[in-house]
Amino acid sequence: MGEKIGIYICECGPNIANKVYIDKIIEKISSIEAYKNKELVIKNHKLLCSIDGKKFLEEEIKQNEFTHLVIAACSPKDHESTFINICKKTHLNPYLFRIVNIREQCAWIISDRDEATEKAIQYIRGSINRVSYQSPLEEKKLDSNPDVLVIGGGIAGIETALSLASKKRKVYLIEKTSKLGGKSAKFRKLLPRQNCNTDVIQKKLLDVEENNHIQIFKETELEKAIGFFGNFEVILKNVKDNNLKTELRVGAIIVASGFKQLNTSELPKYEYTQDDDVYTSLEIEEMCSQNGKVLLKSGEEPRSIALIHCVGREEKGYCSQICCNYMLKIAQYLEQQSSDIKIKEFYRDLCLPNKDDQFFLENLQNSAIDFIRIKDIEIKGNKIKYIGTDDTKKEIEVDMLILAPAMEAEDGATELAELLNIQLDETGFFQEAHQKLNPIATSTDGIFIVGAARGPSGISESILQAQAVGGEILTQLIPGEKIVPEVKVSEVLEALCKGCQTCLNVCTYGAIYFDEDRGISVVNEAICRGCGNCMGSCPSGAIRSKHFTNPQLYQEMVEALR
Amino acid sequence: MEREFLPKIVSFLCKWCSYTGADLAGINRLQYPTSILPIKVMCSSRVDPVFVIKAYLRGADGVLIGGCHPGDCHYQDGNYHTRRRVAILKRVFELLGLEEGRIRLSWISASEGPKFARVCNEFTEVIKSLGENTTKTTIFL
Repeated sequence: MGEKIGIYICECGPNIANKVYIDKIIEKISSIEAYKNKELVIKNHKLLCSIDGKKFLEEEIKQNEFTHLVIAACSPKDHESTFINICKKTHLNPYLFRIVNIREQCAWIISDRDEATEKAIQYIRGSINRVSYQSPLEEKKLDSNPDVLVIGGGIAGIETALSLASKKRKVYLIEKTSKLGGKSAKFRKLLPRQNCNTDVIQKKLLDVEENNHIQIFKETELEKAIGFFGNFEVILKNVKDNNLKTELRVGAIIVASGFKQLNTSELPKYEYTQDDDVYTSLEIEEMCSQNGKVLLKSGEEPRSIALIHCVGREEKGYCSQICCNYMLKIAQYLEQQSSDIKIKEFYRDLCLPNKDDQFFLENLQNSAIDFIRIKDIEIKGNKIKYIGTDDTKKEIEVDMLILAPAMEAEDGATELAELLNIQLDETGFFQEAHQKLNPIATSTDGIFIVGAARGPSGISESILQAQAVGGEILTQLIPGEKIVPEVKVSEVLEALCKGCQTCLNVCTYGAIYFDEDRGISVVNEAICRGCGNCMGSCPSGAIRSKHFTNPQLYQEMVEALR
Repeated sequence: MEREFLPKIVSFLCKWCSYTGADLAGINRLQYPTSILPIKVMCSSRVDPVFVIKAYLRGADGVLIGGCHPGDCHYQDGNYHTRRRVAILKRVFELLGLEEGRIRLSWISASEGPKFARVCNEFTEVIKSLGENTTKTTIFL
């Protein structure tokens, strides 16, 4: 059977009809000598995306039994999917259809109607050429496993597990230490209203432990993960007994591995020993939770305390976002503990971005706390040298120092990123698929990042992210529903591949592996996203990007070069 | 009267940023010359340098490659690969005695309609000043 191509031009109301001469387009295309061996049906319609238009198109395709379809209309962003659905309905493979953008990229950018008409003809000819070279592609449907693995038992991991379990989803929650709760379980009180921690975090811990849908593995780490969205096979190992392993199958993996505080011994300006009364904010939180008060190593109550913000801020190159807030909170603990304690807060800039923060700060500013803005600071034991904003150098001595060290990605983030084939960004935290558009996903489909693992964040933000991931998984990974991976993937042509493995290096997704036996690269179609980078890199031209092959693009291009 | 030389510029636009930027230029009714022939690709990294040479030898007066801004690639780092490939391609062009000015790589985000129109206008002017690509008639492979 020869080719029979349907070409439909949408007038888009006046949008296209008033900008090009549609009759001239039809006349020109019908008379092209090069298409004499093809059967063409060319028609126009007022508005193809309307109910009438869709019905018209459906009947036309059925009646004419087209082998290919070209629709000259708006941007594919607007109605490509509309027409793909019509193709599916009429059993025309959607990959034998092509939409030509004669609105946004033609009618609307050229004021001269003749020129625009010429341009539209060129575009349509390019697409008629291209569509003949397109091949039908079939969607593959894969079974998926709806269960989820959550790595990290801090607040972000716990909340993720709870939100998934609330819809009866099976969750495996692994935690490398012997306790759930992470750092937030150590806090005495929570911002912004100083709620008692036991009411909030401890309750969540109980909920998680008691939930039948959540299986908890303490002192456990990820050893291996292979697979793709919907079908991951993972191996867990016990941190104390590496031979104690668990194999699981899950559909999605959530990284909630949290943060650690910067080790201040790495900073030359912060010189102190174990014997000095210098503490990190987390140590103070723990001390407060256990004793209910802050005490010196001697057991006495301190009479003067300096709180130092931004420790390592400059060295790390980013703001840890939550420290100003919790340093104010610690100041309030101290104030409530005794009115005899002189409190000085040394800060550079105050980062208080949440809506409740201002109120909290103003309350404290009315108290006896001394806020000192500095340019630089150095500590040696409990002695402080600092340069104020007026460039004067000063020295003071206090009984106790409390530091707010920068937040860093938790130990093992690099290894975890490697195991899961996801990236860390330049700060060392896990990198989002897209900072703005897809901030909880990663470059690998089905692997998500939440909480402080993806960057400094406080409890409420971590909970928000956890709930977002929960929603994402509950809507994307549905029990009994099949997963349709990308169809426009790359493939390696065995005859041309010489096994140089350049493609393995450029693939962000690890979708290509090397088949030692055959000496060629092979694409794992379930992982490939179809960007075509491998194709751009292949020195032997052995890779084909389906639906974006060289012959297809070439056929489109020659029209421009006629 | 002789018609003014209108260059033929093959423009590979990545689906996520530059192609959408081109759509936005249209939505804002920004005007740019008909010299541009957009060809949509999934990622600028799909643009095989050999294919660019092919376009050139086939008679394209210019080749424009549009990708997402560094750090914004939909596929993480595809555009960094493109950047390196285009840099090398320009070197190859120079070595072959061709005009590397006929290749342009631009980062145009989905929200940069005006930038897309500006790049098209500018590049068309550049190609006009370089004149017609005569390679098609002087080099045979």
